[in-house]
Amino acid sequence: MEGLELLYNGFANTFTTVNLVACFIGALIGTLVGVLPGLGPTATMVLMLPFTLPYGPTTGLIMMTGVWYGAMYGGSTTSVLVNIPGEAASVVTCIDGYQMCRQGRAGAALALVAVGSFVAGTIGILGLQFFAPMLGRAALSFGPPEFLCFMILAFVLLANLSAEAPLKGALMIALGLFLGTIGINPMDSYPRFTFGSEKLMLGIDFLPIAVGLFGISEVLMTAIQKYVRPVVSRIRLRELYPNREEIRRSISPTLRGSVLGFFVGLLPGPSTVISTFVAYALEKRLSRTPERFGKGAVEGVVAPESANNSAVMGSMIPLLTLGIPFAAPSAIMLAGLRMHNVEPGPMLFTTNPDVFWTFIAAMYLGNLMLLVLNLPLVGAFARVAVIRPQILLPVISVICLVGVYSVRNSLFDVWVMIGAGVIGVFLRLWKFPIAPFIIGLVLGPTTENSLRQTLLMFKGDVTLVADRPLALTLLALAVAFLAYKLAAPLFGSKRALNIQEGRSL
Amino acid sequence: MRKLPRFGREACFVLLLIMLGSAISVISWGYGFGSLRQPGPGLYPFFIGAAIVVCALVLLIAELRSGKDEEPLDTDAAKTLAFMTLTFCLWIAAMPLLGYVIVTLLATCAFCKIMKLEGWRKPLALSAGTALFIYALFDHWLYIDLPRGFLG
Repeated sequence: MEGLELLYNGFANTFTTVNLVACFIGALIGTLVGVLPGLGPTATMVLMLPFTLPYGPTTGLIMMTGVWYGAMYGGSTTSVLVNIPGEAASVVTCIDGYQMCRQGRAGAALALVAVGSFVAGTIGILGLQFFAPMLGRAALSFGPPEFLCFMILAFVLLANLSAEAPLKGALMIALGLFLGTIGINPMDSYPRFTFGSEKLMLGIDFLPIAVGLFGISEVLMTAIQKYVRPVVSRIRLRELYPNREEIRRSISPTLRGSVLGFFVGLLPGPSTVISTFVAYALEKRLSRTPERFGKGAVEGVVAPESANNSAVMGSMIPLLTLGIPFAAPSAIMLAGLRMHNVEPGPMLFTTNPDVFWTFIAAMYLGNLMLLVLNLPLVGAFARVAVIRPQILLPVISVICLVGVYSVRNSLFDVWVMIGAGVIGVFLRLWKFPIAPFIIGLVLGPTTENSLRQTLLMFKGDVTLVADRPLALTLLALAVAFLAYKLAAPLFGSKRALNIQEGRSL
Repeated sequence: MRKLPRFGREACFVLLLIMLGSAISVISWGYGFGSLRQPGPGLYPFFIGAAIVVCALVLLIAELRSGKDEEPLDTDAAKTLAFMTLTFCLWIAAMPLLGYVIVTLLATCAFCKIMKLEGWRKPLALSAGTALFIYALFDHWLYIDLPRGFLG
C-alpha cells in the first residue's frame, strides 16, 4: 500500500505546469530526433542538459527520459516510410516495416507500432516500479568490494557488447576512466595531471566532453557525408486502421517483445539496439511461417519496436538502484542528476523517494502523450524527415556552442567541446565506440573510490574477496565471460549477434 | 616477396595511445604508488595507464596483422571538416568581443555556406532566425547573462 501512496504523491507532483511541459517537450523533441536520421537520442539529451539546470532534478529527469523514450517511438516512422532508421534501435524495423509500406500497409504498421510501444512502455514502467525499489533495498547490502566487482563485470560486458572489436571498447573505457582522474583527487586533495593549470584543478567537466563527442562529432560526421533526400510516403489518418488479422498477429509479439526488452535493458551496452535484434530473432524462431519475415511480417515490426521501448525502462534500473549507468543515455542522466546534487543509488529510495515516484508517474503520462502525439501526427513527423542537414546542422552547432558556454561561462569548456568533437569524428571513422568512454568518465571517480575503500578494508589482501560471496560471484562472472570470449575462437564458435549498426553509437 | 603491413592513420592513433598510456603510468608513479595496504594517489591511474598500453598494443598488432587499409576522407569532406572546425574556433575567439548574438548570426551563416546551402536568402534568414531564437532562449527564458560585446 505504501507504494501506491508514493505513486499517488508522484502523480500529484507530476501535475505541475513545469513537469507537464517538460514531459511534453521531451516527448516531442525525442520523437523528432527519432524521426531525423543522424542526430541520436544521446546527443539530444546532452544538448538539452544545460536547459534543465534552472529546474529541479525531477523535471530534468522527466525531460531526459521523454527524449529517450520519444526517440524510440519516432525511430520507427522513417524505418517504415523511408527505409531509413531514425536511430540505431530502429534498424531492424526497416526489414519488415518498409515491406509493409510497399504493400500499402504503412499506416497499419505505424499504428500497431505506436500501440505496441505504448503497451511495452507501460509494461516497462510497471517493471521499473516493481523491481527498482526491491533491488534498491537489496543494494543497500552492497559494500565497496561488491560495487567494485559489479563495475568490473559491467566494464567487461560493456567492452564486449559495445564494439566491433572488444579491445576498442576496453580501450575507450580505460580512456574515460583516465579522464576522470584529472584534477584534485577528493580523497587526499592531491592534484593529478593538472600540470599547474588552475582550470584543470577542478577536473574535466562532463558536459563539454559529452556535447563534443555526441553533439559536435555527430554534426561534423553528418556534414562530411553525402546527403540523399529521402522520399516519404504520405499517410492519411484513415489508413492507420490495421485489419483484424494484423491485430491478432501482433498481440503476442508485442507482449513477448515488451518482457524480453525489459530484461535485455538490464545489460550493459547498447541494450535498446540489442533488444530489437533479439526480439526479431525470437519471433522468427517462434513463427510457424518464418518465410514471411523480411516480406512484411507484422510480427517483425511490432516485436522489436516494443522491445526497444521497454528496454529503456529496464536500463533505468541499474542507474536508479546502483547509480551505475549501463548505456550512454543513462550516463547522461546520471551526470544531469549529479548536477542537481542528486546521487542515484540504493539511498535514492530513502533520501529522495519523491524523485523516483514523480519520475514513474511522469513516465506513465509521457507514454500516453507519446501515443496521442504519434498516432494522429505521424504524417507530420514523416515530413520532418526530409528537412535537409544544411538547415538543421547550423542551428544545432550554435546551440552546442552557446549551451556549453552558458553552464559555467567558460570558454575553456567550449575549447574542450570542440577538441572532443574533432577527436570524436576520427573515433567514429575508425569505429571506436564512444558510449564506453562516456560511461568510463562518469564512473571513474566511483570506481577509484570503491577500489581504495576495498583495499583499505582488506588491508591490501585482495584474496579476502573470497569471504564476500556476492563480490566473488560478480568477479567470477566477469572472469568466466572473459574466459568464454577468449576460448570461443578456439572451439570455432561462430554464433554472434549482428549488432554492428548500433555499436558505433 | 611478402608485403609489409601498412602503417595507416588508425595505427598511428593507436601508437599515440600507447605513448599516452605509458606517460600516464610514468607520471602516476611519480605521484606515489603507495602499497595495496595504503594506496597512494598514483596507484589507480598507474593501472589505468598500464591497461591502456596493453589494450592499445594488442590492438596495434591486430591492426598491422589484418593489413586492412582504412578509407581516407575525400578532399571535399576534409575541407568541410576543416572549415567547420575553423568556424567553431572563430566563434570562441570572437564571442567575448562581438557578443553572443552577433557571433551566432555570423557562425550560422558560415555553417550554412560551408554546407553548401544555396543562395544567400535562405542562409541569411536562417541565421537571423537562429540568432533571435538563441537570444530569446538564453536571455528571456533561461535568464542567463552572456557576453553581449559592443552591444552592451
